[in-house]
Amino acid sequence: MAKPSYIGPVGHILLVASTYLFLWVPIIVLLAFSFNSEVFPAPWKSFTFKWYIELIQNIYLWKTFVNSLIIAFSSTFISILMGIFLIFFVAQGGRFGKYLNLFYGSVIIPETVLGVSLLGFFGLTSISLGLATLIVGHTILGLGFVVPLVYARYLELDTRLTEASLALGATPLQTFFKVTLPLLKPTLISSALLVFIISFDDFILTYFCSGSSTQTLSLYILSMIRSGVSPVMNALSAVLLFISSIMVIIYFHLSTRGKIFL
Amino acid sequence: MKIPKSITSEGPFAIGIPAIVWQVLFFCLPILLIVITSFIEFSEIGEVLGFTFEKITYFFNPIYFRVIGLSFALALSNALICFSLAYPLAYFLAFRGRRFKSVLLFFLLIPFWTNFLLHVYAWFYVLEKHGFVNNLLLSLGIIQEPLVLLNTPIAIMIMMAYYYLPFMVLPIYSSLERFNPSLIEASYDLGASWFQTFRQIILPLTMRGIRAGFFLVYIPSFGEFAIPGLMGGDKIMFVGTVVSEFILAEGTGSLGAAFMVISGALLLISAIFFYFLLGRLSGRAHG
Repeated sequence: MAKPSYIGPVGHILLVASTYLFLWVPIIVLLAFSFNSEVFPAPWKSFTFKWYIELIQNIYLWKTFVNSLIIAFSSTFISILMGIFLIFFVAQGGRFGKYLNLFYGSVIIPETVLGVSLLGFFGLTSISLGLATLIVGHTILGLGFVVPLVYARYLELDTRLTEASLALGATPLQTFFKVTLPLLKPTLISSALLVFIISFDDFILTYFCSGSSTQTLSLYILSMIRSGVSPVMNALSAVLLFISSIMVIIYFHLSTRGKIFL
Repeated sequence: MKIPKSITSEGPFAIGIPAIVWQVLFFCLPILLIVITSFIEFSEIGEVLGFTFEKITYFFNPIYFRVIGLSFALALSNALICFSLAYPLAYFLAFRGRRFKSVLLFFLLIPFWTNFLLHVYAWFYVLEKHGFVNNLLLSLGIIQEPLVLLNTPIAIMIMMAYYYLPFMVLPIYSSLERFNPSLIEASYDLGASWFQTFRQIILPLTMRGIRAGFFLVYIPSFGEFAIPGLMGGDKIMFVGTVVSEFILAEGTGSLGAAFMVISGALLLISAIFFYFLLGRLSGRAHG
């Protein structure tokens, strides 16, 4: 049943539609110009794929892309693994509740502060900046999502299931791997996707902790934007939008109704 | 409880520790160190000379007060703009989206899950002198000369709202999803107007989501330096801009850290204030 509201259903639809226009007009304009044979601000001339071909041939860009992938995969893997360990610890009767606030820190502190602090820390301990430091930093961002999400889901699990498993003679280890972990699988996969995309798209932390030798895709995009308009960037946007659409679809399949957290 | 105890006997207990150690080592410790270094005087070669307030008092200067003030203004106005765009959207998604709901959520999440620098780039196309907005307004005859939109405060605000909108929509949406719509009907049946229902029923019961959204927008907006730099053409200085310039320049790193500690402390105080203010706003409506 439609609920009456202050602006009425038509006004409400118009308001929502204009918000979506606000979100999508820039993207549509951007995509349109990835097929234009002339460089912006020249108007539309003819349809072309040449910017996509140039994108594929841009070896330097793909190097930074691979760097971003390595960092995103590693930090996702480490933070998910630590999350699983933590759940195992809690399943053993370990007390974790009081440490949970530690992990909310990454949300209540601006990323700029985290980036600068890590840069200072690596400087003080003479650790040279590069892929490893970026993986460390991104894992902190990842833990800030994985730990609260997976822990909250664990607390919601029906304890009767693990009790039944133990009562039927399964060892605690078997119970963990055959009951608890499968029940947590959707949450684990969806938080892994979230961490992956956060790491892959991260700019602020990367900006401070990358050093001069390592460049990620975000940093490369920044340098390209600074130097002006290039249709290759439009083609790249199209590719990245396509990838994130697929990830959003997977994420949707895993999230139960109303449980979409960021 | 009997069962957890029996599990304890098996497997190494220390297995839960890595996450906590990692968080302490690479999160708490660096932040603690940066706070300490802003009170310590170093010699040229990095020896500790002693305790000092000089790095803090260096910033007791109207120029830096203005920077901090502007950052507060940016963060607060962005949070308010996002809230006023996000609430109707989240409400629509939760109660009126019906079978379009997942499609609408899908189209909300895609931009959110794509590198934000590409969106900054996309807005160049919209706001440029020969961009989408100017072309549209010129062809409609509303303006005669192209407007200057890039490198203005308006461009910064648009980009900030664009980027942070989903951070506000999603928590509000999840709290509205958990909200029982029959309460609205009960309120109408008892003779309340739409505004009374919204103010006294819906708003207080979704305050958790509003509060989460507020902080997810307010806090990172305060430290933002990329969007003001790119959309504002580095003309207006915010806390993030000043800090990143000090940090990345040679020899001023610890001054940058000190400025970050000062503004971080002020941000924390303001966050606590808003936390209680938002709590009060929902509490008073109950009474």
